[in-house]
Amino acid sequence: MKILYSWLKDFIDADLPAAELAGKLAALGIETAELKKTGADFEGVFTAKILKIEKHPNADKLSLVDLDTGSGVRKVVCGAKNLEAGIIVPLAREGARLGSNILTAAVIRGIKSDGMICSADELGLADKRAEGILHLDKNLLPGIDVSTLYGKADYIFDLEITPNRPDLLSHLGIARELSVLLNIPLKKIDIKPVKEHGKSVDIKISCPSCQRYSGRAVRGVKNTATPAWITQRLAAMGVNGKNALVDISNYVLYDLGLPLHFFDLKNIDGGINVRFAAEGEKFETLDGSKLELNAQDLVIADNSKAVALAGIMGGKESAVKENTSDIFIEAAYFNPQTINKTAKRYAMSSEASQRFERGADVSITLTALAHASNLVQEICGGEAGPVTDVYPVPYVPAEVIFTPQDIYKILGMEIAEEKLKQIFSGLGKFDGEKTPWKFIAPPHRRDLAHKWDLAEEAARFNGFENIPVSSTRASVAFADNPKNVDCSAKFAAVLTAAGFYECKNFDFISGRDLDNFYFDKKFTVELANPISEEWQFMRPSLLPGMLKNAAFNQSRGAAGYKLFETGKEYANMKGFPAESWAVAGIVCGAAAPEYFTQKSAPADFYFIKGLAAQMLKDFEGVDYSVSKTVPAYMHPKICMDILDGGRPAGFFGKLHPLTAKAYGLKNDEIYIFTLNLKTFEKKFKAQEFKPARDVPQFPSSYRDLSFVFDKNLNYAEIDKAVNSAGAWSKMSYNLTDVYTGPNLPEGKKSVTLNFSFWLMDRTLKDAEVDDNISKISAALSALGGELRK
Amino acid sequence: MNLTEWKQKCAVVEAEYKKQVAAAADLDALASARVAGLGRKGALTELLKNLKDFSIEEKKEAGPLGNELKKNLEAAFDAKELSLSSAKLNADLVNTNIDLTLPGAPVSVGHSHPLTIALDRMTAVLSKLGFLWADGPQVEEEKYNFDYLNIPAHHPARDMQDTFFIAGKPGMVLRTHTSNVQVRYMEKNKPPLRIMSPGRVFRKDDIDASHSPVFNQIEGLYVDKNVSLADLKSDLTAFMKGLFGAKAEVRFRPSYFPFVEPGVEVDVKCVFCDGASPCAFCKGTGWKEMLGAGIVHPQVLRNVGIDPEVYSGYAFGMGVERLAMMLLNIKDIRAFYENDLRILGQF
Repeated sequence: MKILYSWLKDFIDADLPAAELAGKLAALGIETAELKKTGADFEGVFTAKILKIEKHPNADKLSLVDLDTGSGVRKVVCGAKNLEAGIIVPLAREGARLGSNILTAAVIRGIKSDGMICSADELGLADKRAEGILHLDKNLLPGIDVSTLYGKADYIFDLEITPNRPDLLSHLGIARELSVLLNIPLKKIDIKPVKEHGKSVDIKISCPSCQRYSGRAVRGVKNTATPAWITQRLAAMGVNGKNALVDISNYVLYDLGLPLHFFDLKNIDGGINVRFAAEGEKFETLDGSKLELNAQDLVIADNSKAVALAGIMGGKESAVKENTSDIFIEAAYFNPQTINKTAKRYAMSSEASQRFERGADVSITLTALAHASNLVQEICGGEAGPVTDVYPVPYVPAEVIFTPQDIYKILGMEIAEEKLKQIFSGLGKFDGEKTPWKFIAPPHRRDLAHKWDLAEEAARFNGFENIPVSSTRASVAFADNPKNVDCSAKFAAVLTAAGFYECKNFDFISGRDLDNFYFDKKFTVELANPISEEWQFMRPSLLPGMLKNAAFNQSRGAAGYKLFETGKEYANMKGFPAESWAVAGIVCGAAAPEYFTQKSAPADFYFIKGLAAQMLKDFEGVDYSVSKTVPAYMHPKICMDILDGGRPAGFFGKLHPLTAKAYGLKNDEIYIFTLNLKTFEKKFKAQEFKPARDVPQFPSSYRDLSFVFDKNLNYAEIDKAVNSAGAWSKMSYNLTDVYTGPNLPEGKKSVTLNFSFWLMDRTLKDAEVDDNISKISAALSALGGELRK
Repeated sequence: MNLTEWKQKCAVVEAEYKKQVAAAADLDALASARVAGLGRKGALTELLKNLKDFSIEEKKEAGPLGNELKKNLEAAFDAKELSLSSAKLNADLVNTNIDLTLPGAPVSVGHSHPLTIALDRMTAVLSKLGFLWADGPQVEEEKYNFDYLNIPAHHPARDMQDTFFIAGKPGMVLRTHTSNVQVRYMEKNKPPLRIMSPGRVFRKDDIDASHSPVFNQIEGLYVDKNVSLADLKSDLTAFMKGLFGAKAEVRFRPSYFPFVEPGVEVDVKCVFCDGASPCAFCKGTGWKEMLGAGIVHPQVLRNVGIDPEVYSGYAFGMGVERLAMMLLNIKDIRAFYENDLRILGQF
C-alpha cells in the first residue's frame, strides 16, 4: 500500500520528517519497504540556453560554457560530456538550494564558475547518479524557475500491510493509526451535503454474502478529463489516469479504503440484485475475461443478467465509458470468504478484492458514497439521485470486558492506566470508568475481539521496545530426542569419519527420475501443484538426488565422491501418503584420499560392505544376505540385503551402469547403500553404552593358513567351517589374501587366513595351538580345500 | 705367575684395553680391540686361564677379581659401542635428504552439511534452555497445518504461505511451517510444556538467492501458567546469546501471524558492528531481523483443549538457512541444495 505524505495530511496534521514518520510506523508494525521522494526539492534553479562551449584552458575534462539566462550571459565551468550548444539546461545560481545544500561560488582550475549546470540527481529528480547534465524541453525559454516544471516535494511510503489490517489500506486508515500514536485528533472528512433529484435505484440483497449495499444514481454527467490533482495523486499510487469517473472511484478507494464500483446506468436493466451466480452463468469482465461462474460466486446483477463479479471486477457491458452520461455508484460490504474464494478460483486479484477479502469497513459506505458523489458532481456535473441503503442485519461489534491486569499478564509488564485509557479511547468506544473495563471496537477493526488483541494494541502504542526481559524460567521436564534424531546422528558420525560429505536435496524429484529408477508412479506421492515437472514427485528414495549431486560435481571437475544424506522418503501406501526417515550414501572413485606417494584403489563392493558393517556393528540381530530380488537400478549380481531379524532394512551394492548413465555419470563404478532408519531407530537407545570387553593379558599365538579351494566356493562357507571346526581356545582371524592366477590350477583360488588364539587365564602351549589348527584344517579339507604348501 | 704378578698383569690388561677402547675411532676398531681383549684368545681369556694354577685360597681372591675385570672391560666396550653407534646414527641422520616442503598427505575426513551445523547449534542452545525436541510429519493434514493454527480456509493469511498440495488426496499438504508439530504436541501433552521443533518446510515460492521452496525452520513453544511477552523476550535473548555470544540483545516489533496474539517480529542486535555502516550483516541499522514470535493465540489453545484463561504460551520460529547464511557467510540459499563438494568441504 502506497501512501503519499501530502495526501495523508488531508486527514491528520502530522508534520514529522518523512524518515521519522517511517520509523514511527515501523514501531507500530507497519514497515516501509521503500520511502521515495518525489517532486522538486530545490530553489534558485532557472532554465538557461547553452550558447557556446569552449575547452577549459587548464583542464582537459572541463569545459567553459556560455549560457543565456534570459537576463544576460553567464560563464560556467562544467565537467559533463553531454553539453550541446542550443539546448536548455537547469542552471543553479549562487545561493540556490539543492535539497539541503546551498550553492556557493566556486573557482575551478583558476576560472570562476558563475553557477552550476545540474544533473537530474543533483536536483533530487533521480535516485541514482545521473550521467551528465539534465536536458530540458528545448522549447522552454531561458529564465524560468525549474521547480515550477515539477510537482512539489513529497514522499511516497510503500507500506507493508499485514493481512489482518485491511483498515490500513487507505490514507484515512494510516492517519487513524497515527492519530492514536501521536495523540493528534483526526481531521473531519470534508463531505458536502448532496442535493438529491430524480429516482432512486432499487437494490435487493438475495444472499447472506453481502452485508450491506448502498448506492445511488448520478444522471447527466460528463465523463471529462480528470483534474491534475487527482491524476497526480493516483500516479503516486502507481495508477494511470483513465477518465474522470474511473479515476474518482479509484481515488476514493485510496482515500477512504472502500472500493466503489461505478456502473453505466444505461446498461442496468431495472434494479440491482446481489445474488449468487447460477451454476454455469456466463460473465465477461471489463478486462475481457470470459468466465463461466459457479454457484458460490457472488455477483451484482440487474433484472436480467450479472453486471459485476462482486467486489472483484465489473462487467464489460456495464462498464463506465467515455460517453457515459448516467452512472450508478455502488458502495458495499461483501463477505471476505466469498470474495477470497472467487478471486482465487479465477486467479483475479484486484485492489478491490484485496480489501474485501481482508474485510472492508461496513460503516463507511454512505460516507464513501457521498464523497464520490461530491467529486463526480464537482468534476463531471450531473444530478445525484436518492441513496438506497440496504443493510438488513447491522454489524454488532465485539465487546471486550477486561481489566488492566489482563493486559499486564499477557505482556509481562505494567503500563500506566492513563496511557492505556488514552490508547483504548483512541481506538474505539472505551469505558474505563470502573473495572472491569469495556471496549467496543469500531467496525473497521474487526480484528479487535478479545483481550489478547487489546494487549497487542497496548504494547504497540506504548512501544514494543518497552517490553522488559523477565528472568528465564527453568526447564519443565526431561525427555529423549525423537529416536530418529539420535540414531541418524550416530550414522552420520560414522559416515563423516569415513570421509563422506553430507548432502541435502529437495524432497522433490521428476518423472524422469522415477523412470531412471524404475519406480512405479502408482506408489509415489505426487504434488498437485508442483513448481515444475522437475519437482513433481515426493522422492521415494534419497538416491536420485545424490546422483544429481554426483553429476553436478562431475561437471565441476570432481573425479570421485563420497556422499550421504539423511532425509525422508515418501510412498503412496494404499492411497495414503506415507513418509519415513532413511539414510543413504553413494561412493565412486578412490576409497582413500590419494596423494603423491600413494595411489588408492577405487572404492568397490567390499568398501561399501565394510561401511555398512561399521554403521551397524552395534545393532544386534543384523545380518546380510545376497539379494534375491534386486532393484532394477542395481547391478543384478552385486547387491546385498541388510536384514534385521530376517526382515529387510536396507541394501547395498553396485548401481546399475544404465542408471549411472541416465544421470550422465562417466564413471559407472558407483556403490551405494540405503538404510531404513525406522528399523534401527527402534533399537537405538541414546543412553545405552556398549559394555567394554576384557582383552587377554596373556600372549596370543598366531598362525597363518593358506588353503586352495574351488574358485566358486563362497567365503561364507569357509567362514562357517572355521567357526564350527571345534577350536577350543579363544580365537579370531582375518582374511589376509584371496589369490587366483599363476601357480594355481585353473578354477582354483587360494585363501589365506591369519589366526590368533589365546586364553584369558594362561598362555597356550604350542601343542594346543597345533591342535586348534589341525581341527580347522580338517574342517577346511572337508570343504574340498587343500593346504597350500 | 704368582698371585701378585697376576694382579699386576690384570691392571696392565685393564689399562691397555681401556686405552684401546678410548682410542677406537670406529666400530670396527672397537670390535678388533674387543676380540683382542675379550675374545677366545684375548688377553683376558689368557689371564683367566692362569687361575687354574692357583691354590684354593688364591682362587677365592683371584676369581672375583677376574670377574670384576671382565665386567669392567665389557662395560667399557659397551659404553664405547653405544657412543660410536649413536655418533654414526647421528651422522647418518644428518645426511638425510628429504623435501619437507612437499604437501602433507590428505586425511580422509567427511563433512557435516552447513545446515546440520547450524541446526545442531540451535538445538544445542535450546536444549540448554530446557526445550525438548519434538518431531512431526512433513506431509500434513490441512487442519494441523492451518485450521488448528487459526488460519481458516479462504482467509488471506492462508495465502501468506503458498502451499503445495498432494495430488489425489484433498486436505493433504506439505507443511508450510513446523507449527504443525506444536499443535500435534499440545494435543497429546498437557502444560507445562516446552518444545522445539526443527525441520523441513515447503512453500511454493519463486526460487532466488534468498528463497527456496524447501527450507528448514526451528520453532519453540512454551505453555504454562502466566507465560508473557516478557518471558518470550527473555528466552529469545538467551537463545540469541547462545547463537551470537553474550553481547546479543533482542528487539520486538509488532507483526502479524494468525496463530499468535500479540505477534512480534524479533530483531537481534548486530554483534558485528554496533550499528556502524557499512556492515554486511545489518547494513548499518544495528539490528537484524531474525524471528517471528508471539503469545499463542487463545483460539489455538482452545483448539487443542487448553484453557487460555488458565494457561498461556509463547511461540517463536526462525529460518535455519537464514541463520546459516549469516553465520557461515553463504550468499545464496541455493548453495545449500546444490551440494557442491568444494563448498561442503569447507565445513
